[in-house]
Amino acid sequence: MITVDKVSMKFDLGMEKNFSFKQAFINILSFKKRKKKEYFMALNNVSFNVKKGEVVGLIGSNGAGKSTILKIVSGVMKPTKGKVEVNGVVSPMIELGAGFDLELTARENIYLNGAVMGYSKKFLEEKFDEIVEFSELKDFLDVPVKNFSSGMVAKLAFSIATIVDPEILIVDEILSVGDIKFQEKSKNKMLEMIKGGTTVLFVSHSLEQIKELCTRVIWLEHGEIVKIGDTETICNEYYKKQLG
Amino acid sequence: MLGRILANFKRYTFLMSQMVSRDFKVKYKRSVLGVLWSLLYPLLQMAVMAVVFSQMFKFRMEGVNYLVYLMTGLVMFNYFSEASNSAMTSIVGNFPLMNKVYIPKYIFPLSKCLFVGINFLLTLIPLFIIILFTGDANTHCVINIYYLCLPFAYLCLFLFTVGLGFILSTISVFLRDIFYIFGIILTMWQYFTPIFYDITILTPQLQKVFYLNPLYHYIDFTRSIILYNTMPSINNWLWCIGTSLFVFIFGCIIFKLKQDKFIYYA
Repeated sequence: MITVDKVSMKFDLGMEKNFSFKQAFINILSFKKRKKKEYFMALNNVSFNVKKGEVVGLIGSNGAGKSTILKIVSGVMKPTKGKVEVNGVVSPMIELGAGFDLELTARENIYLNGAVMGYSKKFLEEKFDEIVEFSELKDFLDVPVKNFSSGMVAKLAFSIATIVDPEILIVDEILSVGDIKFQEKSKNKMLEMIKGGTTVLFVSHSLEQIKELCTRVIWLEHGEIVKIGDTETICNEYYKKQLG
Repeated sequence: MLGRILANFKRYTFLMSQMVSRDFKVKYKRSVLGVLWSLLYPLLQMAVMAVVFSQMFKFRMEGVNYLVYLMTGLVMFNYFSEASNSAMTSIVGNFPLMNKVYIPKYIFPLSKCLFVGINFLLTLIPLFIIILFTGDANTHCVINIYYLCLPFAYLCLFLFTVGLGFILSTISVFLRDIFYIFGIILTMWQYFTPIFYDITILTPQLQKVFYLNPLYHYIDFTRSIILYNTMPSINNWLWCIGTSLFVFIFGCIIFKLKQDKFIYYA
């Protein structure tokens, strides 16, 4: 379902430098030897694959490369080296409401954001009521989203994002948004999606959730895979390494 | 290859239509006259230019309806400048979105060109009103059979603008200065396109230079139909199709080559 083959991701840290005439001018005057370009390897020769129906967790400290992997699998970034193969439609649940236009009403945004998520017109028309129902925003459908509270925006975004039965689900932390009632509801909805038999790539800092949901775990550190394997053993090892 | 491109294109038509209608809603939100502005704006703009050039500077064109002359050039140049400008900023403006979801990047400049294109079609209404209701016995324009060729010129203008939009939006990722540079270029371009004067008032050498301006050919094409009731020359046809296809294909290639790098500059 997902094959990641010897993938490396190189970010050029020097990118921001030497970008303006002012900076170039200063560099000439300062006679300093120009530093060699600095690179940052967000991922270094990473290979793994995920079979259909598997729930694979990614763990590791901040900056280990977890989110970069998600971005590569969802197609937002192309790897510098290596190959990624994904068979199936990816539903990224990385950041919600990315396609919102605050000037538009909730109704208009459901269609716009749905289109951004890659849903078809027919699908959205069928699921429209379901989205509205779940979001609990029936009375505010024709209000511009800019007048919404942040909780309401999150509820709407969540409802649109989770309406699909995805082939491949990419999750960056289980989201629970809105008020207590909705938090519970959204958390359950996500758990339901993950457990629903789809293929999932799941990033979380909560080892409990990882242990509860994942069939396999990939432990990343500094852009490299430390270990892949059984959830229980790797989580325990990781925990010891971090806090022991 | 072509089949794959078309399939991909089809998959994202819904998104594209959503983005175009979004632009429409946002543009006219909270304006009293709303979409009427698309009709009024070019009319008023033309009125100002007509007063300035025909009354103050005493521009004369024998046997030609000057208002129509002005308007034919103006609507096309307005389309070009607005569409190329918003296509240019569309990639950088949508960086936050590109960073989160995968969307084919060509959608952003293309949807801008389409959106301004719909606006452009609306501005054809005042153009036709002026064609039908102005001019005296000598200069009155009539609708003729060659009008069927008009869409060709507008299509060329569209392709040219999309191609240039691709090039400009690519440059803008690596060099934000282009926003200002292109603003100046547009101002120059407007004066170097025979919109409110006739190209024959220039010296022959200068005319040859002006010949390199694709916009001149597109405008000239429509003028030979609307003002002079004649079929555009073969030469004119070739210039139109040649320049527009060249810039369009060139723009597509540049954009395709560089689009994977965009995200690193976000």
